Amino acid sequence: MHPESPRQAVSFAKRFRSPYIAGGTWLQPSCERDRQWPVQLVALNPDWPEFRGIRETEEGLSIGALTTLDELARHPLMALYLPQLNGLIKRVAGPGVRHLGTVGGNLFAGGDLSALALALDTEVDLVGSKGSNRRPLTRWLPDRQGGDLLRSVSLPDSRGWRVSLEKLGYRERFSPTRATVACVHDGEKVQLAVCGEGGPGRLTVTEAMLRDEGIRELTDLAIVVDSELETLGWHDTRLRLAVRRMLESGLMELTRDV
Amino acid sequence: MTSENLQGAVRKLMTLDGNSVRNATSKMDLAPRIEGGLAYATDQRHLPGLLHGAILRSTCAHALITRVDTSRALNMPGVHAVIKADDVPGLNRFGIVIRDQPVFCDDRVRYEGDAIAAVAADTPEQARAALDAIEVDYQPLPVVSDASLAEQQTAIHSSHEEHGGSNLLVRETLECGDIDDALSRCTVIAEHHYQTPRQMHVFMETEGGVAIPDGKGGVLFRVGCQSGHRDVEQLADILGVAREKVAVESMATGGAFGGKDELTVQPAAGLLALKTGRPVMIHLDRFESCRAGIKRHPVSVKMTTGCDAAGRLLAHKVEAVLDTGAYASLGPAVLENYLDHATAPLYRIEAYRVSGRLVYTNNGVCGAFRGFGGNQATFAVESQLDELARGLGIEPATLRRINLRSPGDAGSRNQTVRWTAPPADVLAAAVASPLWSRGDTDNGRWLTGTGMAMGAQGNGLGDGLPDSGGGRISLSPAGRICVEFGFTDYGQNIVESITRSVCNGVGCREADVEVVLGSSRGPDSGPTSASRSTVLVHGVLASILPRWMDAVRGHAARVSGQPEKGLEFGPGGIFSDGRQVLSYRELAESTNPGGMTANASQDFPVAPDSEHPVGRYLQLQIATVARVEVDRITGRVRVTDLHHVTAAGPVIYPPGYLGQIEGAAVMGQGMTLTEDMTAHEGRYQADNLDQYLIPTFHDAPLQRVDVLDNTPEDDPYPVRGVGELGIEAVAPAITAAIEAATGVRVRRLPVDPGDLLVAMAAQEQNL
Repeated sequence: MHPESPRQAVSFAKRFRSPYIAGGTWLQPSCERDRQWPVQLVALNPDWPEFRGIRETEEGLSIGALTTLDELARHPLMALYLPQLNGLIKRVAGPGVRHLGTVGGNLFAGGDLSALALALDTEVDLVGSKGSNRRPLTRWLPDRQGGDLLRSVSLPDSRGWRVSLEKLGYRERFSPTRATVACVHDGEKVQLAVCGEGGPGRLTVTEAMLRDEGIRELTDLAIVVDSELETLGWHDTRLRLAVRRMLESGLMELTRDV
Repeated sequence: MTSENLQGAVRKLMTLDGNSVRNATSKMDLAPRIEGGLAYATDQRHLPGLLHGAILRSTCAHALITRVDTSRALNMPGVHAVIKADDVPGLNRFGIVIRDQPVFCDDRVRYEGDAIAAVAADTPEQARAALDAIEVDYQPLPVVSDASLAEQQTAIHSSHEEHGGSNLLVRETLECGDIDDALSRCTVIAEHHYQTPRQMHVFMETEGGVAIPDGKGGVLFRVGCQSGHRDVEQLADILGVAREKVAVESMATGGAFGGKDELTVQPAAGLLALKTGRPVMIHLDRFESCRAGIKRHPVSVKMTTGCDAAGRLLAHKVEAVLDTGAYASLGPAVLENYLDHATAPLYRIEAYRVSGRLVYTNNGVCGAFRGFGGNQATFAVESQLDELARGLGIEPATLRRINLRSPGDAGSRNQTVRWTAPPADVLAAAVASPLWSRGDTDNGRWLTGTGMAMGAQGNGLGDGLPDSGGGRISLSPAGRICVEFGFTDYGQNIVESITRSVCNGVGCREADVEVVLGSSRGPDSGPTSASRSTVLVHGVLASILPRWMDAVRGHAARVSGQPEKGLEFGPGGIFSDGRQVLSYRELAESTNPGGMTANASQDFPVAPDSEHPVGRYLQLQIATVARVEVDRITGRVRVTDLHHVTAAGPVIYPPGYLGQIEGAAVMGQGMTLTEDMTAHEGRYQADNLDQYLIPTFHDAPLQRVDVLDNTPEDDPYPVRGVGELGIEAVAPAITAAIEAATGVRVRRLPVDPGDLLVAMAAQEQNL
């Protein structure tokens, strides 16, 4: 189905119980695996206003949900606002997938971008059957199967922020994410998030502890991080150890030369 | 490990590098292979009347079949035939060594993927829809999933129930000396368990092909396969027709690596073709290939190895279990090769007892795979040597040097062995690798380490298996020197190797040679496996070329009126006093078609004078030096460099040699770091390449391949095959490098970064 507007797309999706399709890089292997193809798909149109492209706003950046990962990596505004992103994107899937895959699809699937988006306090702009609404990514992620359509994501002005990003895969490229860790320092506070095998999540307890005790004085970060990860659904103790160390490394990077 | 001078008189030591490839020409059209444009067997969609077949596979790992109802499927749109077990006119069984695998299961399924029925329809979609309409009722049976416990469970094959009710397929022991006495005299003993994974071949193009009926009860198969003549025997028995009625053309493939040695789609396609009277194509998609395709045998082994205070190996005890899955396929031969390699063929050991058990389980099917049991054994053997060296406080290379065999020594099975270089020279070249000089670092995030392992690889099918092959040479009507072998070129470019040998032997140019491969109506060369093709090609050509050239020269003399003695072969034709007197075309036109033809066949060389035939006669060697980086934070391992020192006789075609060694090494790296088709209750845990992870280009290390050739002048078999050599020592070299970097020895493959990280963290705490 080729709806004429985002509102109609939402309406089609709900009425026909049909999934949206953008890049299709997540949908295609899922359908092939299950040998079950939807009778109808709701095609999303990148020409709809604000659905594709990156622009500066008063708050920071707005990134259209149908912006491809390739476009994201190459865009000069991203080099200005988040120069660390390019290194991560190179480790997201392969060139073919990055050429088709979209920012919205990656976030919907809890992909590599989720950790960074969570750590940046990203907000999502949604189109629903009753109109548009905006909410924090942290609230949308648990409820993302609801059918509302992701139009764009809003990032704060992160120029000058310290950002550390790291992906742990099974191999160098084109690997499922075991864990991706994002550490952000906005000049005042540290924000931490993860995504991967245990699912996307913001490490708010750890952040609070860092606020209270500071990075350098922290002595029992390991216990807090480990506990919080387990609560979020990261049950593999060995992987939690790796994530904990990745976070420690990220924090070291943030505080270097500060 | 420090540097060490080369010992012995090395005649040739050269490095194959990019220039070896750039300067080489190739008759193979490489561009389509690289660009994905190579036409495979399943690209023959233009065949008139082509139908598409599909195979219904079991959804249970182990169950009795209580009902199969195909009535609804038969009436589905586009469906031309639905067949099941009682539609097999001949033998409803196949298997290279033991015919224990049903074409279609009749009363029981033994793995999730076992074939139950097949459909032919106008389109692939119609065939798949018809499969969904076939009703099967199962009565589940206990699943045999743990190979180590399989013998205590009820047999999954009724024939074995009758013979003691065991899932033990083969038990074999190789013995030498008094193991108990030798163990009692050891100063240092290493005893460890090792485990290697179930690896998948991951060819570019999955299993597939076309069966074309001839309208007279016969069938021509155009498929991706490795042994057309042997397939003819099995297929004729299944189809219930005379062997003359069946022909196989081995088509271009995107790799085989042993995974197309066994029959794949042929039985179902052939039966459907005969039933419908129309060509039938079956092509497994990646999901079905993962589920139903052959895999490498997982091996669990306990090794006990001991030496005296001087480092001399005294005792070596091996108890291995190989999981062959639901059917034997080439499992017995894999076990035999595993055991041979587990005797540590490179080293003198006073006494050994090497035992292995091959057991049935419901974990898919395992069979032939590059290295064929050998690399699994070498991983454990070489790791044991490192353990002993540590126990003695000496360098691993020193321990090896003390124990390496010398040319002239008998092999580990007391057989005569032909080496192409002294093993000590191979070791010395590896110890001199520049990778060692970079040193290991233990500061910063990435820990680096360098490790080494050695391996030996025998050419040929092994002990006691029929192993012979032939070829044919003729002058084609177009005036080309036509060389025919039954081998398949599945990317190793054997065409180039044959062409070069003919050019060297005849003195003609490459354009004068036409190589025809892979037809079962041509000469029977035996299977394209076990690194045997190159040896047989050169053996047969050595026998056939002089005779054929004499005959052609005689004929040329008669036609040209020139004295035979002065005639010489050259580029484009026959020459006398440097002047061409006849072109090959003129020669061909002067004789009847098929006139100047010569055939030859030879048995694959096995060790002479042995009480029992021992196949490990023509031995190759490799020493692989690996350099790795280990992430202190996550336990992730990167292999940055592999340096191989190979001794496998002279190099005939440098790009082919390089490709085989480097390609096999990356395959070995995959087995070491990421690849494992794990099974839970008989169900594979990965179903496509986004879950089963092979190395990517970014994972592939820098590689250097050195060739050490000191083949004796009088060696009658100087040319050897290197299809498997590159994989032999990669795994133990990488794990030795990991240990050098981290202090942690990994004995279970693939290396689990989580386990490695935990072990590293424990070491940090102990510091």
